[in-house]
Amino acid sequence: MADKPNPQKSVKIAAGAVVCVESEIRGDVTIGPRTVVHPKARIIAEAGPIVIGEGNLIEEQALIINGYPENITPESEVEPKTMTIGMNNVFEVGCVSQALKIGDNNVIESKADVGRNVILTSGCIIGAFCQVNTCEVIPENTVIYGSGCMRRVQTERPQDHRSSSDRLHTRRVSPPGPEEVQRRA
Amino acid sequence: MASLLQPDRVVYLVRGEKKIRAPLSQLYFCRYCSELRSLECVSHEVDSHYCPSCLENMPSAEAKLKKNRCANCFDCPCCMHTLSTRATNIPAPLPDDPTKTAMKKAYYLACGFCRWTSRDVGMADKSVASGGWQEPENPHTQRINKLIEYYQQLAHREKQDRDRKKMARRRQCMPLAFSEKYGLGTRLQRQRPGAPISSLSGLSLKEGEEQKDITIEPAPALDEVEPLPEDCYSRPISLPEVTTLRQRLLQPDFQPAGASQLHPRHKHLLMKRSLRCRKCEHNLSKPEFNPTSIKFKIQLVAVSYIPEVRIMSIPNLRNMKESQVLLTLTNPVENITHVTLAPCEDDDPDDINSTAKVVVPGKQLVLAGKDAAAEYDELAEPQDFQDDPDVVAFRKSNKIGFFIKVIPQKEEDADVTVSFKIRHDFRNLAAPVRPSEEGGAAAAPAPAESIWLTHHVELRLGPLAP
Repeated sequence: MADKPNPQKSVKIAAGAVVCVESEIRGDVTIGPRTVVHPKARIIAEAGPIVIGEGNLIEEQALIINGYPENITPESEVEPKTMTIGMNNVFEVGCVSQALKIGDNNVIESKADVGRNVILTSGCIIGAFCQVNTCEVIPENTVIYGSGCMRRVQTERPQDHRSSSDRLHTRRVSPPGPEEVQRRA
Repeated sequence: MASLLQPDRVVYLVRGEKKIRAPLSQLYFCRYCSELRSLECVSHEVDSHYCPSCLENMPSAEAKLKKNRCANCFDCPCCMHTLSTRATNIPAPLPDDPTKTAMKKAYYLACGFCRWTSRDVGMADKSVASGGWQEPENPHTQRINKLIEYYQQLAHREKQDRDRKKMARRRQCMPLAFSEKYGLGTRLQRQRPGAPISSLSGLSLKEGEEQKDITIEPAPALDEVEPLPEDCYSRPISLPEVTTLRQRLLQPDFQPAGASQLHPRHKHLLMKRSLRCRKCEHNLSKPEFNPTSIKFKIQLVAVSYIPEVRIMSIPNLRNMKESQVLLTLTNPVENITHVTLAPCEDDDPDDINSTAKVVVPGKQLVLAGKDAAAEYDELAEPQDFQDDPDVVAFRKSNKIGFFIKVIPQKEEDADVTVSFKIRHDFRNLAAPVRPSEEGGAAAAPAPAESIWLTHHVELRLGPLAP
């Protein structure tokens, strides 16, 4: 790490958070209560601090990185921007998130790639393997899905991943066919 | 390199009604005609219908009644994925005691891919897990049914007229039901464009019933059409509300323009098909009836009868310079096969694609039979074939590697193509056994005769080396 004046290189983990020791957290990161960070997750604060709110779920091999934009070299003077992540977000396995501002209740599905100039509001779902690297604010309750990154607005919030009572009662009723993927319980 | 094993590198020529060049893995072999067949020279027949998500079999008559759709499964109108039923608990007042509330199960449909739910279009949650979901009614159903009945009757009448004319011409006493029996399905009555609609006549009334005359009123022509809304041009479009063309056309009855009117439809059935050789009417491929089984009752695919040529390695090809290409030949049958290669003649009508000259080994290549137990049998003696090391590079169970010499003829060739003929012996085990001369109670089966088959093979070797 380069020597910068007054670097705050500490990682602050609030009480109630579960952070696995196999995960990699570098730089100035603040993790809120009831957030779960799975092993092999990586939270890297290179170009500025990262503040993660409450109740988030960061799964394996997810990468949350506050990195330098591509055309700016680390030597030049850039103001460090803070990456803010709100509450109850889910970062599924293998996703990459560089978005500077993420609201609440979003789901970034597996292997999705969210660019630096995207701002996620709340209730958004970025589908699996979708690459969103536009320069825009994604409106609330948007679902981005499919290989062409089609969009639609959903009327229901995504299921709260932490609420166990919901999980027991909201279950698949029809028997899963051979092509249906097991939804994670 | 794995790209050398791509199936379209080596194609075999099929001499049917059309000359088709296809890789061996996509061809069938009719062992009664002893010829290669492709998908275009066989007739396809529907075997059975089944739903791809619940794998339920459905007889053809029932499928036709339900318009080829499954009764239980639904498709997401947004992304066409299969919908799954989810349950939530909602508090509902008990029927006995209105003051207390108990948790009751409510079911709704949801899509796992695009997160569409049935609540998005305003469909109420049902209290039954399955069977509660209805497709919306089409307001034009009655008119369409009436039109169909009228045209069915018309087609039936036309067919009767036609048959009467035929009978009068032939002056034979053929029962009227004769033409009914040979409806669609035989090759005699395939639909010709311009012929009267005979397909509907199969569904028409039986002979004995009296035919009521159905009249239809012509559709009324309106002078005044509903005007467009005034803010049609000035209102900003909200794109998430507008349906895409694909979503719209998947529901041709309604074709809704707004996303809030997209109702789920029942899932389309898929079918299993069987293939039949057009010349000898034998089945080439017949799948099992059970939708969960992927096996075949009859599977006459070309890879299990014809030796397969594959490219193993290509050196740098240079224009007008001879290079050695290594090919492999695999023997799919269990007896020893003798293979002869021959270059194409100069005026061969099949040889249209080749851009290079090829020198093939003149000697006959011998391929060992495929022995399924070879890997377990340690005491097996390796058969000695005395291969010429200039021709045969290696030999491994039922496969040999051999060299051919390629001389590219064209400069700046993006894809050097060579072709040659391969001639091999084929033991036809399906041929009927000829009874021996003496007769006798237990006639020993005559040894199956070998016939020689010739195929035209084309190889694509890739670009010239820079």
